[in-house]
Amino acid sequence: MAGWPLLRYTARTLLAAWFILSGLFLLSRAHTDRNTFLQNSTEGNGRRLSASDQAHTTQQLLQRYGLDVPLFYVTLGSAAATGHISWRWHGSRNQYHQWFRQLLAGDLGTSYRDGAPVTEVLSQSLSYTLPLTLLAALGSMGLTLALVLWLSHRPRWRSAWLSGLHVLRALPLFLLATCLLLLLANPDVLAWFPTFGLGLEVEEVAWWQQPGRLLYFLTLPTLSLVLVTVPGLVVQLNGALQHELEQPYIATARAKGASSIRVVRHHALRNALLPTVALLSELLPNLVAGATVVEVLFALPGMGRLLAESAAAQDYPVLLGAVGLVALVRVAAQVLADGLYRVLDPRIRTHA
Amino acid sequence: MKQLLPGLILLLWASLCSSCSPTPAETSSTIRIRWARDPENLDPLIVDNPSANETINLLHCSLLQASEAARGYTPWLAAAMPTTQALNDSLLLITYQIRPEATWDNGSPVLARDVAFTLKVMNCPGLPIEIAQAHYGVIRDIRLDPQDSRRFTLVCVGQDVGTSGDYAILPEYALDPQGKLRTVSVPELRRQQQPALAAEFARRYQSLELARHPERAPGCGPYRLVKWQNGRSLTLQRKTSWWADKLSAPPAVLQAFPERLTFQVIPDAATATLALRRGELDLYSLMPAGEFARLQQSATDTQRLQFHTIDSYQFLTASFNVRRPALQNRLTRQALTHLFNVPALIQASQQGAAYPSVSLISPRLKPYYNDSLPLPDFNPAQAVQLLQQAGWQRSATGSWLRGTTAQPVLLKLSVSYRAGEPSFETAALQFRAAATALGIPVELRPTEPSLLSRQVRAGETDILINNLSGQPFSYDFTSLLHSSSVGVSNFTGFSNPAADNLIEQLVATQQPARKIILLRRFQRLLAQERPFTVLYFLKYRIAATRRLGHIPVTGLKPGYEAARIRPLPLPVQ
Amino acid sequence: MSRVRVAGFGKRKVLASGWLAGILVAAFLAPTSIPTPDLLHTTQAPFQAGHWLGTDPQGLDVGVSLLQGSRTVVLSSVPAAILTLLLGAVLGSAAGFWRNRALTTVARVAVAVLVAGLGLLFLPQLLAFPLLGSMLLVAAGALMYWPLRRAAWAQRSVAVPLDSLLMGAVNLLDSIPILILVIGVAAMQRPSATGTIALLALTCWTTAARIMRTTTLQIAARPYVEAARMVGLTNFQLLRRHIWPNTWPLLALQLPLTVAALIGLETTLSFLGVGFSPDIPSWGKLLSTVRQAPTAWWLALWPGLALAGTIVSLHSLAGLGANRSDVTK
Repeated sequence: MAGWPLLRYTARTLLAAWFILSGLFLLSRAHTDRNTFLQNSTEGNGRRLSASDQAHTTQQLLQRYGLDVPLFYVTLGSAAATGHISWRWHGSRNQYHQWFRQLLAGDLGTSYRDGAPVTEVLSQSLSYTLPLTLLAALGSMGLTLALVLWLSHRPRWRSAWLSGLHVLRALPLFLLATCLLLLLANPDVLAWFPTFGLGLEVEEVAWWQQPGRLLYFLTLPTLSLVLVTVPGLVVQLNGALQHELEQPYIATARAKGASSIRVVRHHALRNALLPTVALLSELLPNLVAGATVVEVLFALPGMGRLLAESAAAQDYPVLLGAVGLVALVRVAAQVLADGLYRVLDPRIRTHA
Repeated sequence: MKQLLPGLILLLWASLCSSCSPTPAETSSTIRIRWARDPENLDPLIVDNPSANETINLLHCSLLQASEAARGYTPWLAAAMPTTQALNDSLLLITYQIRPEATWDNGSPVLARDVAFTLKVMNCPGLPIEIAQAHYGVIRDIRLDPQDSRRFTLVCVGQDVGTSGDYAILPEYALDPQGKLRTVSVPELRRQQQPALAAEFARRYQSLELARHPERAPGCGPYRLVKWQNGRSLTLQRKTSWWADKLSAPPAVLQAFPERLTFQVIPDAATATLALRRGELDLYSLMPAGEFARLQQSATDTQRLQFHTIDSYQFLTASFNVRRPALQNRLTRQALTHLFNVPALIQASQQGAAYPSVSLISPRLKPYYNDSLPLPDFNPAQAVQLLQQAGWQRSATGSWLRGTTAQPVLLKLSVSYRAGEPSFETAALQFRAAATALGIPVELRPTEPSLLSRQVRAGETDILINNLSGQPFSYDFTSLLHSSSVGVSNFTGFSNPAADNLIEQLVATQQPARKIILLRRFQRLLAQERPFTVLYFLKYRIAATRRLGHIPVTGLKPGYEAARIRPLPLPVQ
Repeated sequence: MSRVRVAGFGKRKVLASGWLAGILVAAFLAPTSIPTPDLLHTTQAPFQAGHWLGTDPQGLDVGVSLLQGSRTVVLSSVPAAILTLLLGAVLGSAAGFWRNRALTTVARVAVAVLVAGLGLLFLPQLLAFPLLGSMLLVAAGALMYWPLRRAAWAQRSVAVPLDSLLMGAVNLLDSIPILILVIGVAAMQRPSATGTIALLALTCWTTAARIMRTTTLQIAARPYVEAARMVGLTNFQLLRRHIWPNTWPLLALQLPLTVAALIGLETTLSFLGVGFSPDIPSWGKLLSTVRQAPTAWWLALWPGLALAGTIVSLHSLAGLGANRSDVTK
């Protein structure tokens, strides 16, 4: 067994993924409200149905969505006649079984709202979210490292900067983004950047203009995300770095005559990065999950908005697909972070 | 590699510089309109949100269209309003004649056959259009005229002519080129007598994925879909030769001026306002009151923009759940009505741009509106009097009690409303302040929409504050106030034999004079019984750039008629 | 160097404690009833008679809302943050310390599995007779454990994958973005004040747990911890004397961030339309009213200042704590 660490690792990861996905499925479906489907569909067009039509149509809708069968192999139910609670066995005719069989075949189902395959909906949203969050993540990481290294040489500035960063961190994303919008995209103040979206369709752009255009339209959303992420990262990394700098091995390095820049960059930073890796591994799934507030504000149809809208409309296949994707990326990030630990600190060896 | 990097950076910089030009010059052929949400589903038979409704009405034509000017339905694809003939007590024959000019995109005429095809699609089992099926289920059959291929008769249950004609007519040539559904009749499909044929058609229809690809069912409306980026924008292009262009004097419903319409999905109101001010948008409808008032006061904005308000048929109500012991007595409900300060609410949440009404009929509909009833006023003293008349007694602790000492009922209320809606919260806070001053404890319950609709259906709320907007011209209050709808859509739980009788008569009558009498009587009854109180009717606010010229505004959602906007010609440079 | 720092911190400490004390006083002095909205003066700019700090779009006085919001901070945001951090710290350091080799015996595992299985199987009966049922379950467990107590095979040790379990839970929880989770819960039931605290604590602990886990992993691998283990210190002594003193400063740094995050979450939820009852006034909700009146700077400035002051004060006190702990080491 010990000779197959990779296999064991894969098996464990798969097991974790199965567990998480099943948990999400059961959690999201357990609170399905039968009448809400009809409610969502009839609200917009003002069509009101009579009582018998409503009951009949609800039943049809549930049947189409596959929600008319029991949730799981067994359910805890009370018999209508006696009120006596007991376990009931349903066999393979249940929502979980059907969903899991589809999942194994690579089918995530279709959206309740427009019947589009979930994979298509997800990939469409990702095409908006990934550039945005990737830019934001790179920007935040670069800025964090630069800021922490700069602060490590200027202890006098440090506490003022940290206080400032805490203030920044205290401001909610929505407020920051609104402020940026009102400052940098406002005809009354500075109209440097566009207010929303990714440009109009009517404009024809050459291929070499595409990246610049994307960058131009994504500046404000990215900036809001960076401003909101950096304080947390800086505070954490700075705390860890200062902690490391007080360790005895730094004194040894200094005694050996290493310059202070070298001490920070080559000795302390490496160790200080370790707890920050935990935060970075959180960053990766956030790349996929998108940023709801920024996407709503800047009118980008990304994953964040998809998640919020499908949660509000109880569009479970899309919701589960999106959340499941985030979960999988999270598991992957976990694996990656474990690997990084080993690289950064060879003393940690998981013998399990 | 080292030489490549500077090159890449240079390229990026150059492209950044070139795209950072100021916002694109306004092109006159495209009109950009703000939408708060994506249509999501453009199957012409599903239509479950305002954006989808607007799009479908530009892509397709129905037989009739609800029109504000006509105070009812006007003929659209129909040559004239249909003639009706009662077959027996329950069935009505409605005969239509289709406009002779109407053609599909391929030049073939729109015929009664297409209407028959649409009805068969609507009744075909296995399609994801259950709600349309239920709603239009009143149309039982269609009889084609053997002499005139544009003439047909619908067999309908009930008296509602409007419902018989307000669905998009689908092109048979595109969806069923072989005419396979011609062999089967509507009643046969309803009774599922040809399952194989129906299943085969359902499979074919679903494989078209009309929800995401509406262009696969080309309608006979003035526009065609050019591009739809889900969640971002939707662009429509005027057909170069649309059949109604041949008409010498097309009626309003058959006018379509803009060359190109682009709808931009911008969920956030503040962002949309900025975009409008910067010229990235041309038209912004249903604008929040505060923003609208602010723009109207700004000199630079009034130069570029035009502002319109129009009385709508949407109104804010406070509904009382009459099933609750504390709210069973109508005097109690009348008393509570006097605790809403309507003028102050109109000022605070609509900047004065709303109008009060005695009941659910808009004061704009002069003949139907009962102007002899007094508007409810803010009067706590009278509320106290009415409460005492209703049998409530103020106890030593200041609370109101009623009933026997063994089983007293305490006057203690909760106010539910949809969370995140400022005008609801303003009304709720004002009511609470007034009620608390009288010693009535009030709890506020802002609730998430789906939870709220569940609670309302289960009758778990006391007072509900929400917006209502019925069909302004149908005067069918069955679903809202008839006792047969209690537990379904009659969320006040109001059931009153006199009201039921009036509602049934209103549905049955076709004569305007009789309708006026009945409606006025109904309003008086509602003012006495007070299952709900109308706080105010909203006005829609529309801001647009001046280059669009006159904006045809309407009191029906979305507040404007996109097809009838006529942009001013560009000034010659 | 160290003296300069102490003097510098002295002044800040006074300022910070002064601010927090002010918040505390404000919390207890704030009026308990919701004031009457002034519908004739909605979104009124500050420095005018009647409403010195202005009014919000609802016509409520911003000053009064600020005072009442400070009570929410004292009574719910800070306790929720502390609860969150403690939960995360306990779980994270346990996982980091024992990793996947926390030991127990076959007997205990077997009994636990049996009791859980029986409990599930007879859940309906258990729900009907909770007291009798649980007594019977305990008896069954004891009955099973008794013979196994002496059997050699049953006393063999088994590893409990504590770390894997924790990371699984963290992944499960974190894979649902917290906003979605709260929207989901709000769709099932209207959140009450205590319910909100519990919900936030139960969903936000993962960051703290993650940080504590990695730090503990790192410190537990240090030679002096190994040495201390050799000397014969028990696990709890090791944790208390060598691991905790080194890990908790990182946690203290998280406190102001967590408070800020909780208040920010409230704002964001209001932004997305999941409002909490106006009976619980809060700075976050006040901030979110900017959405209705984007040019009303006073709606952002006053609560923003209050929030920033509190966060910076908490931060400097937490930083002090962290420094002191380093000194004692």
